[in-house]
Amino acid sequence: MVAIQIWIAIASATVAGVFILYYNRFVRLTHQIDNSLAQINVQLKKRSDLIPNLLSAVKGYMKHEKKIITEITNARKALVSAKGIEDKMKAGNQMQSALKSIFAIAEGYPDLKANTNFLQLQQELSAIEDKVAYARQYYNDGIMSYNVMTNMVPGKWFATMYGFKKREYLKIPEAAKVVPKIEF
Amino acid sequence: MQRLSFHEEIRKNKISSYLLIGIVLAVLLTLVYTIGFVLGGDYFFFIIIFGTILSLVYVVGGYYKSADLAIASVSAKKASGTEFKQYHNIVEGLCLASGLPKPKLYIMNNQQINAFASGRDPQHAVICVTTGTLDKLTKQELEGVLAHELSHIANYDIRFMTLTAVLVGMIAIISQIFLRSLFWSSITGGRSSRNNNNAILMIIGIALAVLAPIIVALVQLAISRKREYAADSSAVKFMRTPTGLMGALKKIHYNTPMKVSGAVAPLFLAKPTKEKEWFMTHPPLSKRIARLERM
Repeated sequence: MVAIQIWIAIASATVAGVFILYYNRFVRLTHQIDNSLAQINVQLKKRSDLIPNLLSAVKGYMKHEKKIITEITNARKALVSAKGIEDKMKAGNQMQSALKSIFAIAEGYPDLKANTNFLQLQQELSAIEDKVAYARQYYNDGIMSYNVMTNMVPGKWFATMYGFKKREYLKIPEAAKVVPKIEF
Repeated sequence: MQRLSFHEEIRKNKISSYLLIGIVLAVLLTLVYTIGFVLGGDYFFFIIIFGTILSLVYVVGGYYKSADLAIASVSAKKASGTEFKQYHNIVEGLCLASGLPKPKLYIMNNQQINAFASGRDPQHAVICVTTGTLDKLTKQELEGVLAHELSHIANYDIRFMTLTAVLVGMIAIISQIFLRSLFWSSITGGRSSRNNNNAILMIIGIALAVLAPIIVALVQLAISRKREYAADSSAVKFMRTPTGLMGALKKIHYNTPMKVSGAVAPLFLAKPTKEKEWFMTHPPLSKRIARLERM
């Protein structure tokens, strides 16, 4: 009789262990995803903080490039006021393309290209671009493991029970995927 | 690409780290005990206690200070954030890609292309690259090298590899001391051959002293080779392209041997010295490049 009681105790402890294990796994992944989202935001914030410096560095040289300057200023405004991550990423991409054109235009200004302040900012901004890409990659990796767990048996049962829902990947906006057209 | 389960890899590394500490401690205590018994006589307990304390201090110290020791042994300097901006930026980016905390970054003065990582866990990790690495590699290649080193940190290889370096060194030292003192006491006619018990212990002691360093070293080398492949594939996982690391490995092909202590040699990205095939800490570069090409 005692033996049966011991077996029952072991079995219920194992079942409880599995329940706890799965709950903790979901919580850990959710935290990882939230943290990587925060990292993306940190990088986007850093980039928008550098924009005023960049504008003041190029102002003296690019007097006739009004269009690109306003484009960057608008992109920064959009980024600062964006609320959700989707909007932020969109604004971030808009700024990315504006920055690309400003650096392309800068090629035509030898004085500007020799300016150490400008060069430093350019280097910093391209490093941030890499970091945004890496942070987004890590975010999507997290989403992938999370979604795999919520869709596969037995994780699926636990997800339904604990109320963890499938999450969306961060997508690259359609515009950013198009290969730029070269016109002469 | 062959799918490796990284959690499994990490778990295995943690277990083998503890196993290694346990085995080395056991070997050490047996050695100390045998030495005490054979040579000690009246000082038997003194030697045992002293030896045990010494071994424990060495193991614990090796565990907590391994990164500092490795850095000091190659006389590396801290890489300043302003001077080595790109180095810092790349590591920060890769840390975002891997979810690791940023390790401390060091520079060692050498014109060969090489790098190593050390530390007991990701929170206390260091990465060190040679000045040659920063000078000769393109940004993407440098990124590949650093991704490889970060993989060693993420997979907990650093703990295992640094521990083995420290512990293997210690076993070698103690075995040497034992064999020498045995030789010395046999000349001066010590009491070692007084009875059978002692003789058996002595044979065990000698066998241990001779075999332990060799066995541990061979195991270390075999494991080290396997880990390089694993780190190469996780580097690709972080970067999503093998191009950078492949380019770096191709350039490393033209390296000339570096002068580094044998204990830290297995930590490096590519083997720093020229060794015989079966004593290699790293798989041949051509094989590593061929594997990367398939990914």
